Amino acid sequence: MIRLEQVDKRYPNGHLALSGVDLVIRRGEFVFIVGPSGSGKSSLVRLLYREELPTAGEVFVDQFHVTRMRRSQVPRLRRQLGVVFQDVKLLPQRTVWHNVAFAMEVVGASSRDIAKRVPQVLELVGLGRRRDSFPHQLSGGEQQRVGIARALVNNPVYLIADEPTGNLDPDTAQDIIQLFLEINRRGATVIMATHARDLVNQVKRRVLAIDHGRIVRDELKGAYHEA
Amino acid sequence: MRPKTLWYFGRETGYGLWRNGWMTLASVSTVAISLFVLAFFIVLSVNLNHIATTLESEVEIRVFIHQKIPRQTELNLLKQAKGWPIVRKISFFTKSQAAHQLQSEFPDQKALLQLINQSNPLFDGYDVYAHHPSQIGVIARRFRRLPIVQSVVYEGLVAKRINRVTEVVRAVGWGIEALLALATLSIISNTIRLAVFARRREIGVMKLVGATDWFIRWPFVLEGTVLGLVGAAAADVAVNYGYRWAIRAAVAAMPFWPVAPLHLVLQHTIGVTVIMGLVIGGIGSLVAVRRFLHV
Ligand SMILES: Nc1ncnc2c1ncn2[C@@H]1O[C@H](COP(=O)(O)OP(=O)(O)OP(=O)(O)O)[C@@H](O)[C@H]1O
Ligand SMILES: [Mg+2]
Repeated sequence: MIRLEQVDKRYPNGHLALSGVDLVIRRGEFVFIVGPSGSGKSSLVRLLYREELPTAGEVFVDQFHVTRMRRSQVPRLRRQLGVVFQDVKLLPQRTVWHNVAFAMEVVGASSRDIAKRVPQVLELVGLGRRRDSFPHQLSGGEQQRVGIARALVNNPVYLIADEPTGNLDPDTAQDIIQLFLEINRRGATVIMATHARDLVNQVKRRVLAIDHGRIVRDELKGAYHEA
Repeated sequence: MRPKTLWYFGRETGYGLWRNGWMTLASVSTVAISLFVLAFFIVLSVNLNHIATTLESEVEIRVFIHQKIPRQTELNLLKQAKGWPIVRKISFFTKSQAAHQLQSEFPDQKALLQLINQSNPLFDGYDVYAHHPSQIGVIARRFRRLPIVQSVVYEGLVAKRINRVTEVVRAVGWGIEALLALATLSIISNTIRLAVFARRREIGVMKLVGATDWFIRWPFVLEGTVLGLVGAAAADVAVNYGYRWAIRAAVAAMPFWPVAPLHLVLQHTIGVTVIMGLVIGGIGSLVAVRRFLHV
């Protein structure tokens, strides 16, 4: 379970990106976070894997008290999560295969498991044949899918995706959302920040709308815009 | 550590060192030079030690007895001292034996021999040998306390002075080494910092997907210790050849000078340089990585 209590986030330059956010996400949910550009979606998501700490309030993820935990415990938190970053964050000098594999190396997986699992996820995101390419040889959408593969490779309990379909054509975006739904059916909690109105309206899952750093709507079978 | 993880660290280390070619070379040379200086002082102190022990092992203690002590008393003491556990060997000589020895040692000193023959001014006494050089002082003191003993002579003083010089050489050596170590530390640390800086993005992403600090540190620490070890090896090779040359030169110039053998010198230098290389390399890279871990 993810729980935010009265969370404010003010960046060092004084900008208030989140204010008074209260939120509970249970295990097994599928949640869209929607809102205009600059409304605070990424800021919210970054609190979950502790890339940022809130200025006020508390954040809990399962047994982790994110706002109070020791630095040395942070890796344990992050290993529960698979994150698709809005800016993808691939390693430019490593191949597609390595970009995905190193997420497993980092958590100490055996080379046998890595050799087995990496091709599987690359196949899932439709990049089975690009394993030896470098990121700069890929299109934006292909890079994004490498990022998705990396987030999925360790079978995370929570999949946190920040605008994962931003660079994808509608068909590929469909494939990705179906993939996420499948993962969700198998038990993972999915949290996805997005502008993709059609996708949100189509799958009818919980929608959290943010505007100016506040949660303005929270519907269990919601749409991108208020009905 | 699993073999997989070991392989990972090894690969990352090699990659890092290779990418920083010139800095790698520069820091290995600095380490080598600094450790060579350290080794130089070690060689010096090993040699001084060697001289001291050589001298000590050759000395015997000469104990002289007062004039006019009855022969029986002298022989009693001989018998008694033979039973002391710290005495390895003891032999008695009379003053006429001492005179004969003098005569055979200095056959040309006519005036001296005449004097001895007229009224022998020498003493009866004992030649005493210790089991261990460090016991010489104890034996000497024990004899000195006896009323029939006139005086005790041994060459331990020379050895003692050499030991004191050795201590000074060592202190100076470590002092200089401490400064060099600081300089070396900062060079290694900067080399590693370059490597870390080049990979700061990678480090950031690794941390975001759940890498522990140590997982990130290891390759760099390994890199630093490899730098230190290679530097130490270079210094030891230099000491090896340098010292062989020095031995040859010394034997030619001063045939009787007790030069410490090569293996004795290497025994000391290799250990110290390797440990120093490891420590400096390891600490240097830890310092370098620290700043980049707060992601
Ligand atoms: N590191 C930062 N320092 C200062 N201000 C920031 C920082 N990151 C974000 N902001 C500001 O906080 C606000 C919220 O940003 P955020 O990235 O959370 O928006 P978003 O909803 O994810 O937008 P988008 O849909 O464009 O990704 C924006 O006004 C942005 O300018
Ligand atoms: Mg965003």
